[in-house]
Order: sequence, then structure tokens, then C-alpha cells
Amino acid sequence: MNPAEFVFIFMVLMTAAGALITVLSGSVIYAMLGLVTTMFGIAGLYVYLNAPFLAMMQILIYVGAITILIAFAIMLAGPFYKRPREWTTTGKLVASLIVSLFSVSLFFKLLMKTSWGEGKEVFAVTTKEIGRALFDRYALPFELISLLIVVSIIGAIMLALLSKGEK
Amino acid sequence: MTGTFLYDTLNVYLLVGLFLLCCGVFGILYRRTLIAMLISIELIMNGAGLNLVAFNRFVSPGGPDGMVFTLFVMGIAAAETAIALAIIILIFRRFKHIEGAGIEEMKE
Repeated sequence: MNPAEFVFIFMVLMTAAGALITVLSGSVIYAMLGLVTTMFGIAGLYVYLNAPFLAMMQILIYVGAITILIAFAIMLAGPFYKRPREWTTTGKLVASLIVSLFSVSLFFKLLMKTSWGEGKEVFAVTTKEIGRALFDRYALPFELISLLIVVSIIGAIMLALLSKGEK
Repeated sequence: MTGTFLYDTLNVYLLVGLFLLCCGVFGILYRRTLIAMLISIELIMNGAGLNLVAFNRFVSPGGPDGMVFTLFVMGIAAAETAIALAIIILIFRRFKHIEGAGIEEMKE
């Protein structure tokens, strides 16, 4: 086992551990920190997939923007230490386990049976080509997403303002 | 290209994405608060993005299509999180809690 493979296994374990913390921890702030761990693990996996630009974007957008937003929402939504713990009844736990494990076993069987027809050529896509594709082939979806983000920001501000006026 | 190394096989990345999907579905059903459900949705989106980049790397290495799709997924996730958190804050102001099971009426 060479060092690269060792680091790769560490990244996979980090992703898995973060996901488990996210769904199983008792408080929402721990769940958010588990999400951060998962994001960093996935950024490492992107590096192994020859996509360093995506790894940077993963850390910038998810860890830097979305998680901070979630942290502010957690802080604004009241004191959580007064709430009951996250896990509810045993029946709900069993039902969730059955649903998730059933769907996952279905996908697992599909994944193991299918041969994906993996290409033989060497993968060498640079950041330059991503930028070229964004402004050439995918120019319209790119602009539409910027429009979507503007609309969502205005919508969030409007929601906050309207509820303030109601009081 | 399925190589000898673990990080050169497609199935490892797909299994990680599948695990993230499993955790996300479990979290949406199991967690009580709306914020934790939103965090679980983020897990699912990350698994999907990882799958897209892995397919781009191994199945169609000609162009950057999968990476561009993953960038779009990130942008849409940011917009969706902003709107969802604004709605959650509104729900907290109205109901004084954000537990998904306790919200029964849309307008009083």
C-alpha cells in the first residue's frame, strides 16, 4: 500500500464518519459539524478524481457559505438545549432503517451487476476546459443559475421583511 | 480505467456516493428538526455530485461535462439552502419550534 492509497482510505473513512455523525448525533450543531467533515472528505476525493478546481469550490461554497448559513439559522432558531433529544421512538428508527437499507441494497445490487464501460484513455481535463465549457456549451444554464441565485436571495430577504411587518 | 489502486476504481467512488445517499434518506426520515432534515438533503446532493465527477473521470474522460454539472448542483444547493433557511426561520417565529412533526397548520 503506497501513501496515496493510505490517504485515500483516510478520506473515504472521513466522509463516512462525517455522514454518520450528521445523521446520528443528538444535537443539530454536531450534525452541522459532521456535515463539514463530510465536505472536507469529499473535497479530498475530488482531488483524487483529478478535479482540484471542484475541490476548491466544494470547500468554498459548502464549507464557507452553506454551512455558515446553517450555523446562523441554528443560532437564530432558539436554544436547542431545552429541546428533547433528536431521536424519537423506536418504531421511527426501525422504519427509517428499513427504508434506507432497502433502497441501498437495491442500488448496491444494481451497482455490482452493471459494467459501466469504462474508457481506456487518460483523463486530462484542466480548469481551463471547465471554464471554456461554462461559457461555451453551458452558457445558458450558467446564466440561468445566476438568475436563480439572485431570485432566491431576493426571496429570502422578502420573506424576512414580510414576517417583520406582520408583527 | 480500472487499475490496481483503490483510487483508480470507479466502484469505490460509487459506493461512497451510495453510502451518502443511504445516510441522507435515513436522516430525512429520522431527524426531528427541519434544519437537520435540510442537512441530510445536503448529504444526498453531495453523493450525487461525487457520482457525477466519478463518471466523468472514468466513463467519459473526453470533456468536463460531469464537473460542470457538479458546479451547477453546488449553485442550486446554495440557492435552495438560502430559501429553505428563510422559511425555517419564519416557521420558528410563528410556531416557536422547528420540529417537522409539530407543524400542522399553514395559516392561523
